[in-house]
Amino acid sequence: MSLPPDAATLPPPLDAASPANPVMGIDQAAGNFSYKMDYEFDAGTGLSEKTVRYISAVKKEAPWILEFRLNALQQFLAKPLPTHWATPDLANINFDKIRYYLASGQKPKRTWDEVPDDIKRTFERLGIPEQERRFLAGVEAQFDSEAAYSNIKDVVAKQGVIFANSTEALREHPEIFRKFFGKVIPTGDNKFSALNSAVFSGGSFIYVPKGVKVSHPLQAYFRINAENFGQFERTLIIADEGSELTYMEGCTAPKFSTSTLHSAVVELVALKGAKIQYITVQNWANNVFNLVTKRGVAHEEAEIKWIDCNIGSRLTMKYPGVVLKGRKARGEVISIALANDGQHQDTGAKMIHAADETTSNIVAKSISVGQGRSTYRGVVHIPKHLKGCKNNTECDALLINTNSRTDTYPAITVRGDANSVQHEASVSKVSEEQIFYMQQRGLTEGQAMSLSVNGFVNDLASQFPMEYSVELKRLIDLEMEGSVG
Amino acid sequence: MSSLTETNRLVGSFTPEFFAAHLASVSHLPGWWLDRKRAAYEQFASLPLPRRTDESWRFATLAGLRLDGYCRPAPVARADLAHAPVELAQSGQLLFANNRLVARENLAAGLAERGVIFDTLHHALQHHGDLVQAHLLAQPVPPGAEKFTALHTALLDDGAFLYLPRGVDLPAPLVVLHYAHGAGAAVFPHTLVIAEQDTRATLVDCFRSSGADRHFACGRNDLHAGHGAQLTYAAAQTWSRETLSFQSNATVVRRDARVQSLNLHLGGRQSRHESHSQLQAPGAQSEMLALTVAHGQQEFDQRTLQTHQAPHTSSNLLYKNALLDQAKTIFSGLIVVDADAQKTDAYQSNRNLMLSDDAEANSLPGLEIQANDVRCSHGATSSRIDPEQEFYLQARGIRKGDADELLTFGFFEEVLSQLASEALHDSFRDLIKAKFRK
Amino acid sequence: MSLLEIKDLHVAIGEKPIVKGLTLTVRSGEVHAIMGPNGTGKSTLAKAVAGHPSYTITSGDVLLDGRSLLAMQPDERARAGLFLAFQYPSEIPGVSIANFLRAAVQARLGEGEELDASGYYRRLYAKMDLLQIDRKFTSRAINDGFSGGEKKRCEILQMAMLEPRFALMDETDSGLDIDALRIVADGVNALRRTDLGVLMITHYQRLLSYIVPDHVHVMWDGRIVKSGDKSLALELEAKGYDWVKNELVSA
Repeated sequence: MSLPPDAATLPPPLDAASPANPVMGIDQAAGNFSYKMDYEFDAGTGLSEKTVRYISAVKKEAPWILEFRLNALQQFLAKPLPTHWATPDLANINFDKIRYYLASGQKPKRTWDEVPDDIKRTFERLGIPEQERRFLAGVEAQFDSEAAYSNIKDVVAKQGVIFANSTEALREHPEIFRKFFGKVIPTGDNKFSALNSAVFSGGSFIYVPKGVKVSHPLQAYFRINAENFGQFERTLIIADEGSELTYMEGCTAPKFSTSTLHSAVVELVALKGAKIQYITVQNWANNVFNLVTKRGVAHEEAEIKWIDCNIGSRLTMKYPGVVLKGRKARGEVISIALANDGQHQDTGAKMIHAADETTSNIVAKSISVGQGRSTYRGVVHIPKHLKGCKNNTECDALLINTNSRTDTYPAITVRGDANSVQHEASVSKVSEEQIFYMQQRGLTEGQAMSLSVNGFVNDLASQFPMEYSVELKRLIDLEMEGSVG
Repeated sequence: MSSLTETNRLVGSFTPEFFAAHLASVSHLPGWWLDRKRAAYEQFASLPLPRRTDESWRFATLAGLRLDGYCRPAPVARADLAHAPVELAQSGQLLFANNRLVARENLAAGLAERGVIFDTLHHALQHHGDLVQAHLLAQPVPPGAEKFTALHTALLDDGAFLYLPRGVDLPAPLVVLHYAHGAGAAVFPHTLVIAEQDTRATLVDCFRSSGADRHFACGRNDLHAGHGAQLTYAAAQTWSRETLSFQSNATVVRRDARVQSLNLHLGGRQSRHESHSQLQAPGAQSEMLALTVAHGQQEFDQRTLQTHQAPHTSSNLLYKNALLDQAKTIFSGLIVVDADAQKTDAYQSNRNLMLSDDAEANSLPGLEIQANDVRCSHGATSSRIDPEQEFYLQARGIRKGDADELLTFGFFEEVLSQLASEALHDSFRDLIKAKFRK
Repeated sequence: MSLLEIKDLHVAIGEKPIVKGLTLTVRSGEVHAIMGPNGTGKSTLAKAVAGHPSYTITSGDVLLDGRSLLAMQPDERARAGLFLAFQYPSEIPGVSIANFLRAAVQARLGEGEELDASGYYRRLYAKMDLLQIDRKFTSRAINDGFSGGEKKRCEILQMAMLEPRFALMDETDSGLDIDALRIVADGVNALRRTDLGVLMITHYQRLLSYIVPDHVHVMWDGRIVKSGDKSLALELEAKGYDWVKNELVSA
């Protein structure tokens, strides 16, 4: 493998024996992990024009993409952190210590013996297959899913569906993807969309032709490789007129990411009458900042539905949105967040109505355990002179322990007398009566608590595909352990 | 030069000279108060005007907040005011115009003997300095109010002071009228209520313009409800349609006390109202009510804070806005439940009735909850008159216009009916009716 | 003597036809009952005749004493003498029954004519006594938090006060226990006069034991398929709606 032209100018790799873990970006000397590193392509730590040029060069990108990246870098550097409304914890991200690009095929190596016992137990109890466990624990560089991926790719290709990673798609199908790339979420939308636009790699680009209904959900699961589970993946899905697609990403197993910053951008375009359902289940390690921008544009009579489940991470900020651009377009966000000790789930939804008779629906449920904090932030906007628009928002927060925390910050703007908007939020705890009743029937307090919490999210969890909702349930059981007493 | 321009923008008409003239006009004030005023002026002059990125000013029309074109108003006699009497049986009344007392109706018989003080703040500063110092502008108001609270503190001239000693039960409401008179008049109304243990009283604040001139109003009320006190505060804001108004409220509710406040917002060009209820001890209850009729190009910006600082406290907020023409409203509310405030009941509801295709309603209902054994909820709705209700009334032979009026008043009634005093209820209802007639 | 004529009426909700050519004449003093299974268009008929904006009359006509109602607003139809007792009366918080009825009575007076308040209350209280309704009722908001029985009694009270020429009673018995049903039926019977025509819409024969109709019609798929006297209701009760269906199929 030859080095890219400017590789010689890159900063030297850090000493592997250093107590600070350079990949993590923060000092984890006191943590459980230690492993050697051996990178094939590595952009070093820190972010500069050089880093961006390096990434673009490795990917052999067209000049317009490099230009796009460089412009994004300027915007990223110019934008302040949004701490005037978001948590000050964002200021703890050390952008200089982050490694912005790791090529595929290479991952930090550690042996199975080095994987902490509690993680092994978690895998066990979640019923994760052996090989996936090894991948998820970072023992294996790559999960052998290429066969499955090629298979599904071939199947959908017969229907004319394009399913590729971002590099491949922009190189081979620019005529399809360039038109929408960076249009749903402009580079300067926020600091982190700008960051992603500068250094993105991996992610899925999908085009579904007119009238094609993709019968099986496409899964990022089949696309597991280093880039896909990377930090800055970029996803763009275009559903042409009358087509239908379900896309799933993530899995419920805890991901022991080697990076502390994950910042993805996901853009969806549903053209006239198309339907896109985008399902995410994420369970990040406790040190990860997960700052994701997700938005879709729904044209006339199109439908975009985000189903989003966030567990783990130090801080997740994610507000999937739908711009309802065409008449009778529909948007929906279904969201479950679980914040345990030391975690802050700052999630929500944005519904921007831009045409008559558009409807949107938001149902957000959060669970705060221990000192966990969950925040709902929402925007509903119905501008001037639209008719027959409707939004319904429901936020329910469940607080498990006396010191658990929840916040709700919706912002609703309505103009005119021909639209209607309704927002309801409530906060509750698990009913003592309910727990007692179940204990009286022989369940432990913990089991009763798990049942209650599962009951709280049940109406939403049932909208997930079967295997996801089963795993979600197990995961909630695990998270609820030790929460009582 | 540019820094001078910037300074001018920051203070507008309220220049150091304006402040000096104000200080020169007041006399016999205690030193601590003068010190606070001077510090407040410095703070006002240095704080920036609200900016786009200030969350506490989100959605507000910042261009409307210019501070120039106002003046220290000349003294005015009662006879010069376009004054309409308040049709209520009263225990006493103070009438201020352009920041000075111009008329009063003394306390009902026997109340002064029982130790009730209902007098000017000016009088209280001289004779009850400790009481005033403990309560005047002593409590925080919602974020965003800093600059205008400082301005109010610096330029506060006179206002109403009510002290209710333990166990006093006022038979009828006390009424305070605050008038602005003359073009460009800047007024700084203040009402301070200290209700000691087991008292019961109702105070009505009326904010009025004498004539249609452009005014600047920057007012404040401080309400303190001691152990077991029951306080009702009702305010009717009917400034002229050209007035720029800032009004803030700080309410403290002690053990087993109950405060009910109802703010009726009808006047002004751009009006901001900030209200903060602190529930400081078990059994404290606060009911925060507001009604707004926004028409023409009026903008009403209401920010509220319900802070639960102790267990077993409750608060209930209901803010209703009716929007006509090109009017705009903003409701931003926050319920904060502190970590040890278990068994809190807190509700917050904002209902917007959209009566025009050009009106704009913004709602920001917020919760920050740090205790788990609580009942908290909030809701916000914006919609037109319910067509099914409209049809129901029409099906009984009521014309559409009349049906809509009935339904609109029905919308207000949910708030007005919370007032225990029928006379107060009727007088507020009449004010709303009068606005709809115009 | 007044006449309510429904002539070959077709009604649609959106694009979907519900009433498909229904003809019926009700005269003052008569009580008609329309019976039929759910979804056959009974309630649609009542709402469309009263002028509900969600229902489109695609053809046919409704005449009150020869004058078409179709171009009239719902309130004009009401003032012309039509009363709809709703199956699900709207709950209107904040508007008291007294104020509401007063506005409704006032609306029936001529321009510049003022309501005689004391006369109005005298009449209101008399009607309330007749319907065994507590005086405190009038200060409550319309139907707000009312039980099913209270709502229906409130409907009958309004009917008594507004003295319509024709009353369309939509599933008046639904949601009522036997006591409430008896009170409501007694109320309606007390209002039966030679100058009032009644069209009752009901799924069950139950109500018709208390308010005995002069004519019974069976509605099926948007049309009247069978008419008779009160014995038809009993026959229907005994044989069920399948009986009508089978007859239709064989015919």
